[in-house]
Amino acid sequence: MDDNGSRVCCGILPANAPLANPYVPFQPDAATQYTAKTGLIKGTLFPCLDLPFLGMVNTEEKTDTMMHQLQALGFAIQELGLYLDTHGDDEEATELFRQYTQMYESGMAEYQQSCGPLFQKQAVQDGAYTWNNTPWPWEYRANQED
Amino acid sequence: MFVYEKKLQYPVKIAAVNPKLASIIISQYGGPDGELGASLRYLSQRYSMPYPELRGLLTDIGTEELGHLEMIGAIVHQLTRTLNDDQIRADGFAPYFVDHTTGVYPTAASGFPWSAASMAVKGDPIADLTEDLAAEQKARVTYDNILRLSDDPDVNDVIKFLREREIVHFQRFGEGLQNLRERLNQKNVYYMNPSFDK
Repeated sequence: MDDNGSRVCCGILPANAPLANPYVPFQPDAATQYTAKTGLIKGTLFPCLDLPFLGMVNTEEKTDTMMHQLQALGFAIQELGLYLDTHGDDEEATELFRQYTQMYESGMAEYQQSCGPLFQKQAVQDGAYTWNNTPWPWEYRANQED
Repeated sequence: MFVYEKKLQYPVKIAAVNPKLASIIISQYGGPDGELGASLRYLSQRYSMPYPELRGLLTDIGTEELGHLEMIGAIVHQLTRTLNDDQIRADGFAPYFVDHTTGVYPTAASGFPWSAASMAVKGDPIADLTEDLAAEQKARVTYDNILRLSDDPDVNDVIKFLREREIVHFQRFGEGLQNLRERLNQKNVYYMNPSFDK
């Protein structure tokens, strides 16, 4: 760790690298990871890629609402998905991806049951069309818990 | 196809209105290195990518950028809700207000409307991925500059998240470029354009 709180990590460069080409070292593996909740706060699941500007770090814990839990799980899926797009043979990351998607499915069902639909195709509840009954995500609500 | 999920990627809840700050943040909505250009760049470049993994990477990052566009729109919208007469005259906001009231319009902070000239689709994967690397760096610097200019903790919380995503995307585009290179002629990666010369 340096004084910015970020880790110094090294990736892998190709051994025989053609000239006149841009190179970014390969992230070696996904073994070290933040939890989904910390990952959402940091903007990455991977401590090696966590490189803040002028020591400005988000430390505030998000309240533990159902929406925040869903956002954290959704973020972990998105982040691991991008990683797997370039590391398709990482079995450990693939398994983790599967687990997060499973958790997301159950979290989503629970959320929709108590807070309203996330997808239009799930908008009929108890015979009523509820798509427009809940606030849109960009709206400001002073008392919102999520 | 695209399906809307009624949630933001990351929570946006801005307690204090601040039209002057909104007139700066709007640049990441419709400015030269903003999220609209980012999403259209990647979602357009993907058609000519020669390998499925690269098509996937551009689709997934392009889709994430659409989510970022929505978050920037949410910040601008929340920063400009319920403005009084003094606030619409605030330094820097009146020129935006006269054309768009408090609607969210894709423009640079300078007032230049969003332009496809700020992005490129070259139809060659090394050229396009190299552009993408540069684009992520430029977006990162724009977020750095917003953090220098803004002292609103609710806004900066979201901006720090978005800035970090640019770094992760840069890493993935660099890896995509390496995966591509390994499939090209090792004696001369510029021997042909794998998007065109099949």
